[in-house]
Amino acid sequence: MAPALELSRITKSFGDFLALDGANLSVDYGEVHALLGENGAGKSSLMNVAAGLYSPDSGSIEVAGVPCRFFGPRESMQHGVGMIHQNFKLVKRFTVAENVLLANPRGSFRSAKSAIEREIREKAEALGFSLDPARRVDRLSIAEQQRVEIIKALVAGARILILDEPTAVLTEGEAQRLLTMVRDIAERGAAVILVTHKLRDVKTFAHRVTIMRGGRTRATVDPRQATAEELTTLMVGSNVVTPSRSVKSAGAVRLSVSGLASATVEGHTPLVDATFSVRSGEIYGIAGVGGNGQTELAEALVGGRQPGAGVISIREPGSAKPTEITAATPRQRRDDGVASVPADRQSFGLATRLSIVDNFAIGFVHEGRFGSAALIDRARMRRATEVALREFEVQGVRSLWQRAGTLSGGNAQKLILARELSRTPSIIVAHSPTRGLDVRACAAVHSRLVAARDAGAAVVLISEDLDEVLGIADRVGVMTRGRIVAEFDAPADRHAVGRAMVDHV
Amino acid sequence: MHDIIVSWLTNLPSLAVPYALASLGLIISERSGVLSLGAEGLMLVGALAGVAAYLSFGGYPLLALVVAMVAAAVVSILFAVLVVLLRVNQVIAGLALVFFCQGFTNLVGTVANWSNHTISGLHTLPIYPLSELPIVGRVLFSQDLIVYLTIPIFIAVSYFLNRTNTGLRLRAIGENPEAADAAGLNIYLYRFAAVIGGSALVGLAGGYLSVVSAKIWIAGMTSGRGWIAVALVIFARWHPWRALLGALLFGAIEALIPQVAAAAIRVPQYFMLMTPYVATLAVMVWQEVRGRIGSDEPAALGQPYVREERT
Amino acid sequence: MSDREATLLALPLSRAGAAGNGYRPFGRMILEVRLDMPAWKQVVAVACSIIIGMFISAMILVVSGVPPAELVSEFASNVFDRQSFQAVLVQAAPLILVGIAASIGFRARFWNLGLEGQMVWGGIAATAVSIYHVGPEVLRLPIMAIAAMLAGMAWVAIPALLRLRFAVNEIISTLLLNYVATYFLYDLLYGSWKDPVDAFPHSTIYASAERLPDIGYGVNAALPLALALVLVVWWYGEFSRFGFYLKFIYANPAMGRLVGVPIMPVVWTAVLMSGALAALGGFVVPSGIAGRLTQGFFEGYGFSGVLIAFLARNNAIAAAIVAVLIAMLFVTGQSFQIFYQIPFSMVQMIQAIIVMCVAASEFFIRHRIRWQR
Repeated sequence: MAPALELSRITKSFGDFLALDGANLSVDYGEVHALLGENGAGKSSLMNVAAGLYSPDSGSIEVAGVPCRFFGPRESMQHGVGMIHQNFKLVKRFTVAENVLLANPRGSFRSAKSAIEREIREKAEALGFSLDPARRVDRLSIAEQQRVEIIKALVAGARILILDEPTAVLTEGEAQRLLTMVRDIAERGAAVILVTHKLRDVKTFAHRVTIMRGGRTRATVDPRQATAEELTTLMVGSNVVTPSRSVKSAGAVRLSVSGLASATVEGHTPLVDATFSVRSGEIYGIAGVGGNGQTELAEALVGGRQPGAGVISIREPGSAKPTEITAATPRQRRDDGVASVPADRQSFGLATRLSIVDNFAIGFVHEGRFGSAALIDRARMRRATEVALREFEVQGVRSLWQRAGTLSGGNAQKLILARELSRTPSIIVAHSPTRGLDVRACAAVHSRLVAARDAGAAVVLISEDLDEVLGIADRVGVMTRGRIVAEFDAPADRHAVGRAMVDHV
Repeated sequence: MHDIIVSWLTNLPSLAVPYALASLGLIISERSGVLSLGAEGLMLVGALAGVAAYLSFGGYPLLALVVAMVAAAVVSILFAVLVVLLRVNQVIAGLALVFFCQGFTNLVGTVANWSNHTISGLHTLPIYPLSELPIVGRVLFSQDLIVYLTIPIFIAVSYFLNRTNTGLRLRAIGENPEAADAAGLNIYLYRFAAVIGGSALVGLAGGYLSVVSAKIWIAGMTSGRGWIAVALVIFARWHPWRALLGALLFGAIEALIPQVAAAAIRVPQYFMLMTPYVATLAVMVWQEVRGRIGSDEPAALGQPYVREERT
Repeated sequence: MSDREATLLALPLSRAGAAGNGYRPFGRMILEVRLDMPAWKQVVAVACSIIIGMFISAMILVVSGVPPAELVSEFASNVFDRQSFQAVLVQAAPLILVGIAASIGFRARFWNLGLEGQMVWGGIAATAVSIYHVGPEVLRLPIMAIAAMLAGMAWVAIPALLRLRFAVNEIISTLLLNYVATYFLYDLLYGSWKDPVDAFPHSTIYASAERLPDIGYGVNAALPLALALVLVVWWYGEFSRFGFYLKFIYANPAMGRLVGVPIMPVVWTAVLMSGALAALGGFVVPSGIAGRLTQGFFEGYGFSGVLIAFLARNNAIAAAIVAVLIAMLFVTGQSFQIFYQIPFSMVQMIQAIIVMCVAASEFFIRHRIRWQR
């Protein structure tokens, strides 16, 4: 029997960037086929080609042995290909039924609505959960929204189901339930493609796994036969060294946070009661599943948004009294030595349309380092930027005046680090500093943070990547539902931290 | 005093109609995600086209109003091409449209000699015997046809937006075009249709101003009503019925101006003429102070849609 | 297949074949975002779009009854005829002022569409100084200019406050306030300020000390004033620290705030400057051209300012050059008004056509179109 989906020699480029370079994938009905790879390996691009969202530059697509060309998502759906994207394609203000109806027109509105509602209930029941079709999507949890997406695809008649990083946004328990369900769907005859970068999910739930790296599919293997090391090597290429931890005792408390709570947003409070303190010469890692208040915590620390309650204070070395900075502006905090590495680089880390020099110099301009208020000194800006770029090994710079947005993710992050860390800050707030970066850039970012720590800075590292936190933090706090629920000294036990991330209700 | 109130209420509906129809038209296009600042210009096009058709085609007022709708819809295609296909900044395109229409209608009106000709326009249509009722008869049942039609138009648009598949898709496109695209909808087609359909209503509002209310074409005769309609949409939180409510409010304010003069209250006339604009500002401030909770502002309003762009 | 399975996978494979591939004889159009295009190509694209816009405008005028030969000679006379060229230079001064006023507002992401309202207030304040003989005669002109700027700043402060305090959309509020300002002007001109000499709705004529002096070549002092301010605004935008901040406020205000840009002071400064410059335009028109406050002295400047800023990409020097070109359009429009009864608002129409063409050209600068077969 022909494979359910066969992608052959797919290439796709965006401008100068070659996202897919002759990728091949063959998936059968009845299997969960994992697509494993690092961020930026081309997994999502390949799946967007399969779902008709991207048109490949070359290559062929066959569904059940029939050659197809998808001119849009509707056509791929007609061929039974349904994709559940990482950021759900749901209209938040619509109900579940309306969202399903949108993708599956069925006659007149009134009759269709009741038919769809019945269908949703049936499918949900068959999958072993209940779902109220009349609920508005923005009132549902992330896991529930994901189920709506799956139901939507099934109602549309999907027999090839693509899930793009489905567990990234889920808690451990939710992820297990989802993957069990997905396997169930596959065993009833569907083909399921599971895009992931989590080895454990692959080993437990996939029948076969295809590994991607650099826009190419490297190998397809049976995950139970291959060892984790083999899979990792296929995934990342050469092995990369993680920074070793220097044994150095931390100093006095530099930053303390107590009872921090965010203002209520749309009926729920993301940050409830965060209390912790960070000493100088220490990396305090905050682990946790995304959406448990990390973003709000980071914003409160750097002054992006005022917290609803709680106190943030800093203590200068040698001074007895802490200074409260809860209500300080970002600028005052910078003057007090706080540096910020935001999670969303493109939105909060850089002005992508301005030049590299501008993006570097903005961190220092108000100190008068680059000329007076009446006349800024561009030549000095350029020289300082040049020095910093060299020191922080920012590559891909053709001209200092090129737009910062043209830098790759890793180099953009290095530019931000150059701006934030070359002032030798005493407190660093880094939120998901390696999200979306390749392995080498990750290592560079980590070594920078470690170096800053060794130089005496108090570093707050907020990350959803548990390996990152365990790898470089000196102490680990676990954040769940807006609280720091547990703290561990390094080396922290992975399982204990993992339990803390999911156990607290 | 009694007379003044009755005549104020009698004038109110016909002054509210242009606001009501224009903001309803804007709601349709904005629900699809296209920010339409061009209302002022499209109303002028409708107003000129209405009078032009009346003068040229033998004085049929209803035909004139249909021509007003068609003319505004045709001009709005230009806007749709700019913002939907060519992804021009919707603020820039909307402003350019207004100023284009202001200049163009002035020019055409002058060259074709359609300016300053009074016409007999559309007459009132008393609904006998209801029109004989005291007060209510004059206020509610001695209006023109378009006033009566406004309510069914609102019912139809409201039904369309909330109770039909097409309306559901239109709103989905304004809320989350990526989701709509993934569901296989043609974003461009829906946005084009929404802009053109909404603009037809805006054109009707303009035609009503010239053919029914003023019974004359004067360059720039909308004097900011289009902008007030844009503000009304924000006030209405993109809900048709609230827009009607706002339109009645502004109709009431506008109807009050001549009554104040008639009542011999000594307020300088130019200060009276400022009231609709000041009231609009007040309403906008009030709206923002209350907060936008419960607002159905389309989440993708003003953003052009591009599929292949990578972020 | 069990019942459960049937429910789950309701639609069998047969649907796949039935749908088939859509028949598309021309393949489909694919848009690609072009990250960078050489500057000279961008200039060519913009220049072409302006030419197309001018051509469309010319067609409309020809259809409206302007003989094509006249059209060409009128435009040419702006440059080659001494008198017309003087008129262009005189006309350029207020246009430069509104152009840089708009551009500095836009740089702070503040859509100041209230340029006309601010001009009105500038004119009113300057005329009040003239009517009430404020200060000694030698200082009269500077006092008028300062009064105009203060009035403009006060007027623009209303929508600025509404926007920065209550998040009220400034596009609508500034436009609405234009109507309010205009009616206030009418109240004065049809009321207490009406000229007792001829009973027309304009103010009494300014004294000679209240008129901008001639600096030779038939050009008054408004032009050097405007050019000096162009330099000030240019320096402010390109070389001052606030100008550096302004770039971030334009490009990414959220990020700017996090790296320490003092958003509020910078935006306020820019918006108040914008209002003051527009109001200064409202001072140089009566003081430099008409010699008195007239009913419609501000008409057509509002959108011209927006257009100038848009075409000049908010750069002050470029705005001065564009303003001279727009001044030619103004002078031509004025003579068409006299000779062919073409309403002056045709100037607005032509400007709008050019804006649309240039805006559309950006699409071709930013995207590449490809056909997939």
